Amino acid sequence: MTEYFAGVDIGSTMTKVVIMADAVVARVVGASGPEHRRLANRVMESALADAGLGFSDIAYVVATGYGRINVPFADRQITEISCHARGVASLVPAARTVIDIGGQDCKGIKLKDGRAVDFVMNDKCAAGTGRFLEVIAEALGLSLEEMGELSLQSQHDIEISNTCTVFAEQEVVAKLAEGVAVADLAVGVHKAIATRIHGMVRRLKVEREVVVTGGGALNTGLVRALETKLGLPLLVSPEPLLSGAIGAALLGKDTVRDAAEKGIPVTRSRQPLKEATFFS
Amino acid sequence: MKVEAGGMALVDKYCQDYGSRARELKGQGRKIIGGLCAYVPVEIITAAGFVPFRIKGSVSEPITRADVEMETIVCPLVRSCFDLAVKGRYEFLDGLVIPHACDSICRTYDVWKYTLGLPYSHFINMPHSDNDTSLEFYKTVLNTFRKSLGKFAGREISDDSLLQAIKQHNENRARVRQLAGLRRSDPPLISGEELARALIAIMSIPVEESISLLGDVIAEVKPRASATGVEKPRIMVVGAQLDDDTFIRLIEDSGAWVVADDLCPGTREFWPDADITADPIDGLAERYLQKIKCARTYREQKGTYPEYLEERFGHIGGFIRDFAVDGVILYIYKYCDPFGFEVPAVKSYIESLGTPVLYLEDEYSKSTIGRLRTRVQAFLELLGAK
Repeated sequence: MTEYFAGVDIGSTMTKVVIMADAVVARVVGASGPEHRRLANRVMESALADAGLGFSDIAYVVATGYGRINVPFADRQITEISCHARGVASLVPAARTVIDIGGQDCKGIKLKDGRAVDFVMNDKCAAGTGRFLEVIAEALGLSLEEMGELSLQSQHDIEISNTCTVFAEQEVVAKLAEGVAVADLAVGVHKAIATRIHGMVRRLKVEREVVVTGGGALNTGLVRALETKLGLPLLVSPEPLLSGAIGAALLGKDTVRDAAEKGIPVTRSRQPLKEATFFS
Repeated sequence: MKVEAGGMALVDKYCQDYGSRARELKGQGRKIIGGLCAYVPVEIITAAGFVPFRIKGSVSEPITRADVEMETIVCPLVRSCFDLAVKGRYEFLDGLVIPHACDSICRTYDVWKYTLGLPYSHFINMPHSDNDTSLEFYKTVLNTFRKSLGKFAGREISDDSLLQAIKQHNENRARVRQLAGLRRSDPPLISGEELARALIAIMSIPVEESISLLGDVIAEVKPRASATGVEKPRIMVVGAQLDDDTFIRLIEDSGAWVVADDLCPGTREFWPDADITADPIDGLAERYLQKIKCARTYREQKGTYPEYLEERFGHIGGFIRDFAVDGVILYIYKYCDPFGFEVPAVKSYIESLGTPVLYLEDEYSKSTIGRLRTRVQAFLELLGAK
């Protein structure tokens, strides 16, 4: 009988669920929003429907991401550091460094033998995160995808000197007023965020292969800017949004396998698939 | 005083209402001398017949009043201490002693002095190098303090009373070492959180009561049977002054034991004793300037770089071996200059021993707990996967 494993990754912006056997059989990405406590189970239900499975078919559920504690039906919570490490290591076995650019944070993870051995995370502000890009894109009247594409057409080198999101937005608005081309500003913004991320991840002594994941990996302009800063080619994760959820499912699989090898029963939460309340 | 309910219960009481015992003693006519940091020579205050009291901040209370007098460049711990003081939390103080521990403490002395306007205020001009020239200077500084406090007490502080106080504080420190040493076993007999609370409690009571309270806590903790079968990573926390148990509890709630520390209050101030010397000031000066290994003191460079690192941080390596530490969390407040300067050096020293380090910069506020939890849990997962 096939054993299925689920990974639930509740990020600050997106909630991601995958169901895996040997490969991914279902994937659902939804917005987290302020109601993410209630939504985790709905996203899970929709993934189960896609896979044609019931909740009882799932052998183990691992929750990760910043909302991981609000998934009562999960058997175990594991941080996004370990999950991204495991996910990327399985998607890109040659990976030694992971750069995850999420909606609200950004992290660098050093890998050895498929496991995280060291990590850094951005501290307490939006600089270097997806949120920074969103704010600037809005100021430029662009979608995130448009900003990435447009930056590739730039003819001039523009510096955005502020790393603070609010000040950088003011700087961009001022430059627009001076008549600077939008494409050039988009490049400046990507360079600014790349500088910030580079300053953080270089503390890890970045080694090839370097894999970029998270929503930020979908922005070609940003990936290019980061490549220039690091002086290394970057690989974009084949599953930029799902690396963490896939890692979570795989760590669940590892947990069940390790228990079987040791001949001990797997501890499960036995919570039904229902929404979290503030009292659970 | 007699303790009926057990040492830990009294510890909890003193932590919940910090300063309650000092307030009681004040009511009985004792004089309370407040101070910031482990560099206040408490032995001299005890010898004068006063109660030394460590002013602490609060991570759960937003800084609201202090912002007028202290800009955010001042470290958040000092600002929080001052915030509580101007809000009247330490209204029982008769005096204040501020040592030149770091710039945030030194350069706010005037603000403390003129805002609180206490009957006694004194600044201890503590040198920043550990060489012998500084030591001679520092002895003079300590004698100046001794004279000044004697004047406030209305009687000279005699050698005998000073020696007596030094012996008492040494005994107190020996008790702390005994209690903290109960973390050597696996699992430890006392949790990091309990120890942190005990050490916070004793910052607020006279030394003789502290000796007795610690005795009660040891008697309560020592017979505990060491539970077996629960394997958790053994963590050491290194940082500046941690006068709150929230962060230690966060680490232990995440599935680890905090078994060692280089913190204040903690091993940094309780491991080194003052030697009993013919002139009692000599032993005191050596203890504060040379024996306490705090980032605020610049160590004269000797030998090769690894030898120099060993000279500065060798005690941390000693704790890692002695307490079988699996990983170190380096916990530094934003705008803490002395500890901030040392981060790369201390990190590379600990890593050179093969022990993983998690470096966290925090803000002395409970509001950051979610962010810290993810990092701490990830670090523990990483240690567990080894």
